[in-house]
Amino acid sequence: MGVLLFLIPVTFGLALCGLGAFLWTIKNKQYDDIEGSANRILFDNEGKEDNFSDKKRK
Amino acid sequence: MGGSDFCCFGCEAAFSIINKIGLGSYYSYRKLDPNVRKIKPDNQDQIDLHSFIKKCQDDKNEILLAIDGIHCAACVWLIETILLKQENIISARVNLSKKYLKIKWFGAEENCQKYINLISEIGYKLFPFDENILLQEERKYNNDLVKCLAVSGFAAGNIMLFSIILWFYDQQEIGHAMKVFMQFFSSLIALPAIIYSSRPFFKSAFVALKNKSGNMDVPIAVAIFLASLVSLIQAFNQAKHVYFDSAIMLVFFLLIGRYLDFKARKKAFDLAREFTLINSSYARLVNEEGLIKIIASKDIKRGMKILILAGDKVAADGIIIQGQAEFDSSIVNGETVPKLFSFNQNIFAGMINISSPVVISVTKEQDESLIAEIAKIVDDAQAQKNSYVRIADRLARIYTPAVHIAALFTFIFWFYVMQSGLENSVLNAIAILVITCPCALALAVPITQTLTISSLLKRGVLAKSGDALESVNDIDIFVFDKTGTITFGNPVVVDFSCINRKLDFEEEDFYKKLAASICQYSKHPFSKAISLFYEQIKLNLDVTEHPSMGLSSSYKGHEVKIGSATFLEINDKNNNILLNKIYLKYKDDIILFSLKDELKKDAKFLIEYLQKLNKRIVLLSGDSKDIVINIANKVGIKEYYFEHNLMQKSIFIKDLKKQNHKILMVGDGINDAASLNLADISISFIAASELSKNTADIIVQGQNLSPIIDFLNISKRSMNIIKQNLLIALCYNIIAIPFAFMGYVSPLVAAFAMSSSSILVVLNSIKILSYKNLYK
Repeated sequence: MGVLLFLIPVTFGLALCGLGAFLWTIKNKQYDDIEGSANRILFDNEGKEDNFSDKKRK
Repeated sequence: MGGSDFCCFGCEAAFSIINKIGLGSYYSYRKLDPNVRKIKPDNQDQIDLHSFIKKCQDDKNEILLAIDGIHCAACVWLIETILLKQENIISARVNLSKKYLKIKWFGAEENCQKYINLISEIGYKLFPFDENILLQEERKYNNDLVKCLAVSGFAAGNIMLFSIILWFYDQQEIGHAMKVFMQFFSSLIALPAIIYSSRPFFKSAFVALKNKSGNMDVPIAVAIFLASLVSLIQAFNQAKHVYFDSAIMLVFFLLIGRYLDFKARKKAFDLAREFTLINSSYARLVNEEGLIKIIASKDIKRGMKILILAGDKVAADGIIIQGQAEFDSSIVNGETVPKLFSFNQNIFAGMINISSPVVISVTKEQDESLIAEIAKIVDDAQAQKNSYVRIADRLARIYTPAVHIAALFTFIFWFYVMQSGLENSVLNAIAILVITCPCALALAVPITQTLTISSLLKRGVLAKSGDALESVNDIDIFVFDKTGTITFGNPVVVDFSCINRKLDFEEEDFYKKLAASICQYSKHPFSKAISLFYEQIKLNLDVTEHPSMGLSSSYKGHEVKIGSATFLEINDKNNNILLNKIYLKYKDDIILFSLKDELKKDAKFLIEYLQKLNKRIVLLSGDSKDIVINIANKVGIKEYYFEHNLMQKSIFIKDLKKQNHKILMVGDGINDAASLNLADISISFIAASELSKNTADIIVQGQNLSPIIDFLNISKRSMNIIKQNLLIALCYNIIAIPFAFMGYVSPLVAAFAMSSSSILVVLNSIKILSYKNLYK
């Protein structure tokens, strides 16, 4: 049973990371265009990487 | 793909442009219903873009453009790829959900017009808009609700891990230290999560209390607060029960309901924003030389002369200096009947010109008129939370005191009558508050509504307001407009014949081709009908248009004339008023095209369906007597009115309303807008005039009438389900209260009762999705 005292905070910490990641995706506007992004993965980039990378999106 | 596969010139032209620049793969990305998509290769007014372009560092420019006519991923791909093939473009990115395009480029500002023209050429309309509108929207809906939902869901899940252990094992099995640790850890997770994610309820409850009224959020807030407080005290006292799991789960479930409700209304907001962006972000400036230039609304200065055409929305407050016109001012002052404004009268931003062109002199700059208007539309949409929510709030006004009195009574009973001690008595009283918290009640309405709206959307019906879904059961009169509603609204060729002799097949083909080739140059509806009638290969001809007479041209050295009987100097004896006759004269042959506004295919089906329900059906048209009678007989409507103008139509609806009738009105024209506004439920079509689309509660995509039947059935079903849901929620409370009163409610029972009633409500609501279409 004693091991739980250690494991519970560890699992909780991991879960907290997941929550943090989700909140970050919201802040990063990744849900701004749900329809568009879903279809975008099917496009061929045809050499214009710039437009599709997150770097230029901000 | 061959030449005959196109629905119209627009597509064919687009196809050739697309192929020429090597983007043929567009067609493999495309997936859309050609009946829904309306292609508009109209000439786009040149808008002065200067004020919309944002200068960034390093000689970079940026602009935001709202897109009209974008539907699927192929549109996104096409627009982006075409732009990216241009020189100097840094990035071009379409947001499909919000329907706007952001372009960044190097160098001259003027290039922007070139990019816009390129996109307009393939049939999308672009409208520049101010970034502030997006920012404003983001500030208002900054995903706060989603964040609350995420935090509460996370906390609920983690606390449940401990709760399950605490529920099912007693202290001897897990040890005292472990139990204390788990309770402590639960509170550590729960308290911050509850404080963070229950803000929406506390805010709303606080506002309600400040206004000295109650809403559902008041008992919710009280229950959350007390459950957390007591659990915290219990945890410190190392007592048996903590309610953190119930409290956080309560917050989580309620937030789901809140989010669904919000999503349904956001849809209406997005729609309102699209309409507003596309309709009113520019104005026609008349300069000193009398020339007209399109400028952005925000660049309007005091003293400028602005031309307002019929259908235009007034961009700034001003005084009429030339002409007179009727204006719809419902957005400004709520008046539904339009008024005539003439010389020297003031008109205000947001009014819509519905009759003839006027020139105004601007008296007030309206920098923020657009934003102000959007805000107004949004606020309206929010104020229009449907009547059932309001009934739920009214219920809350009885519910809240009732619950609190029950809790007080429980405390008094246990403390004074049973003498069971302060702690136990308080606990039982709080159990009442926790278990009666209207969790299922708060989920009952939004879940059903969200499912209804999405189910309607799948059938091509867009519900803009929840009110419309609610009143459907009470409707007893259905009012239909004729042109564009029961009929297609534009004439089609129904007959083709030669008057003086019999043509062989090849000659017939030649005349059809000739007529279509000439007519393609005119925008008159009759010309459009003829050019659509035969549209394969079109000849290149020089065509002259004689306004309200006809068209003339020459082919192989002979004159060709096409137009009315008077234009061709033909004496037509057989005068059938129901048909529009267009003649073509070439050499000695006279060809007759008979045109007619046809009934929609499912018009009769809809009318028969409504007649079976014993509803009163009215045809209300501005058209002339004979045509209205003819159409009424054809679809089987007994009650019809003809030659009714906008005023008479709205007076007719008003009179019906005075007799306490509930009215559903279907219409598409500008002259229907006022009546649509008056009706209890108003339905319009996606291709209808902007004015009536703005007014209508329900917008049907495409031209078919049968989605109206789906709308009626689905919303009726939805109403029944909402009633069932409220009943389920109420039953649950009636059963739960005695248990809580007796002190049998442990955290386990509370959690179980709460989630089971919520799940029951959700499952019951899902029934709405099983609806099958009646008309194929």
